Amino acid sequence: MKRYWFTTFLVFLGAIMLLFLTLPLFKMMIGNDPATLLKTLKEADVSSSIWLTMKVSLFATLFALVTGLPLAYLIARHEFIGRSFLETLVDIPIMIPHTAAGIALLVAFGHGSLGSFFDLFGIKFIGTEAGIMIAMMFLSATFLINGAKEGFKKVDVKLEKVARTLGASPLKVFLAISLPNAKKDIVNGCLMMWGRGLGEFGAVVILVYHPMTAPVLIYDRFTSFGLSYSAPVAAVMIILSIMVFFNREVCQ
Amino acid sequence: MSFFSLQALTCDVGAFHLHDISFDVGEGEYFVILGHSGAGKTVILESIAGLHGVGGKLLFNGVDITNMAPEERSVGFVYQDFALFPNLSVRENIRFAGRYKFIEDADSLFNDLVDFLGLEKLLDRRIDNLSGGEKQRIAIARALFSRPKILLLDEPLSAIDPTFRNAIMKFLKEMHRRYHLTTLHVTHNFREASYLADRIAIVMDGKVQQVGCANEVLSHPSSLKVAEFLGFKNIFSSSLLGEDSAQLFSIDPNAILVSKENNPKCDYCFEGKLDECMGIVDHLNFLLR
Repeated sequence: MKRYWFTTFLVFLGAIMLLFLTLPLFKMMIGNDPATLLKTLKEADVSSSIWLTMKVSLFATLFALVTGLPLAYLIARHEFIGRSFLETLVDIPIMIPHTAAGIALLVAFGHGSLGSFFDLFGIKFIGTEAGIMIAMMFLSATFLINGAKEGFKKVDVKLEKVARTLGASPLKVFLAISLPNAKKDIVNGCLMMWGRGLGEFGAVVILVYHPMTAPVLIYDRFTSFGLSYSAPVAAVMIILSIMVFFNREVCQ
Repeated sequence: MSFFSLQALTCDVGAFHLHDISFDVGEGEYFVILGHSGAGKTVILESIAGLHGVGGKLLFNGVDITNMAPEERSVGFVYQDFALFPNLSVRENIRFAGRYKFIEDADSLFNDLVDFLGLEKLLDRRIDNLSGGEKQRIAIARALFSRPKILLLDEPLSAIDPTFRNAIMKFLKEMHRRYHLTTLHVTHNFREASYLADRIAIVMDGKVQQVGCANEVLSHPSSLKVAEFLGFKNIFSSSLLGEDSAQLFSIDPNAILVSKENNPKCDYCFEGKLDECMGIVDHLNFLLR
């Protein structure tokens, strides 16, 4: 026993943290019987808010995939002045308070020239799905970009060089070598972003109260009707989020 | 006109600089670039392949290819660690070039390479868990399948178990003849260079120090720096009486007779005191004062 005292000590402290992280989730899951959960799921506003949350988070992830992957590849592959500054810029959104991010998005896209520009194409960000999407994307795209960046860094640059000598253009090398070999980290980043987007509240609630995403609905029910009315919706969202997590584990 | 020519090639990669690299490679020649690690050998190969921006000129059959994209140059590149594509099977690795350019008689070339390199049983395997020798043969097959005008080999034997190196050197020579290749091989190993090379360039600190026929370069280094690099011992300066010339000569340690006799029959004798006698595997090292 003397030999393992340090490991035992680590396990003891680690177990406290693990308990803290999992206990509330288990309590939510076992505190609501399946019948109540099913009934909650069948309520029109609950199911539509969950569907809306999942759909818009998916759109945000797809948009970030198209625009964030090139950025991740540039950062991973090229040495240039200001690269670390650029990496910091990508990290900033996850460090600022979400409500502050919501206000910043409202100022940038709600009014003024940028808002008017998008208005020309019929795109509005206040009280619309587009608003939910930019709020989710602003606060969770970092996970996708950083995941993809790490994935690209793991791909040996010599693979890309050899592929060029074998006749592939830079775009073809990217599609045939870089992307498939970084796939695991990119998929992981996508699921992290999507999962993080599902839970976004602070920024979303400032831009878009209606239509309600699931986190906004939970907050709305809690403030209007109390704990017993909001808890089943929270439990359903926790179960869905855990499913996203398990999907990520399977992908890895 | 030479088949392939580097003319005052310069290149900057990070803090490393190539300085005015110039040499010609003839068609069908096995050309070895010999130098220490960090001398710039790999950068020269990558510059030839078009993987770095360069100054100076690269001519292929008299045509300037300095600014041509790597995919248009038709060079075959085999890296030291082989750089096989982990997301593809052995077969897909070898046939990779066929996806992007027309390969003449692709199927018969593929079958011939598989047969010559003994890859039949590996074709449907993933590249993980293959041995160093297997990976090397696949990397060579992949490069040759693209029908390159010039084959670039970056330290091809350094990741190979020393037991198999002689066999692989022999195989490289056979392959060079069989596929009528023009090969540029970089190494820091004199044995490889002396066995394989038709001609050699010695590269040190990003500069070409000497270029010539293999025997000429290996036995008649043109400077003290090259002589030391090639392992020449007992290097002394000399000058001919009455002439304003400075030369160097070296004495091969194997040609020195060590004797206890007072008057051995030699042209030059020196007296010394034996300090230490070190037995090293198959020879003795004498330390004398």
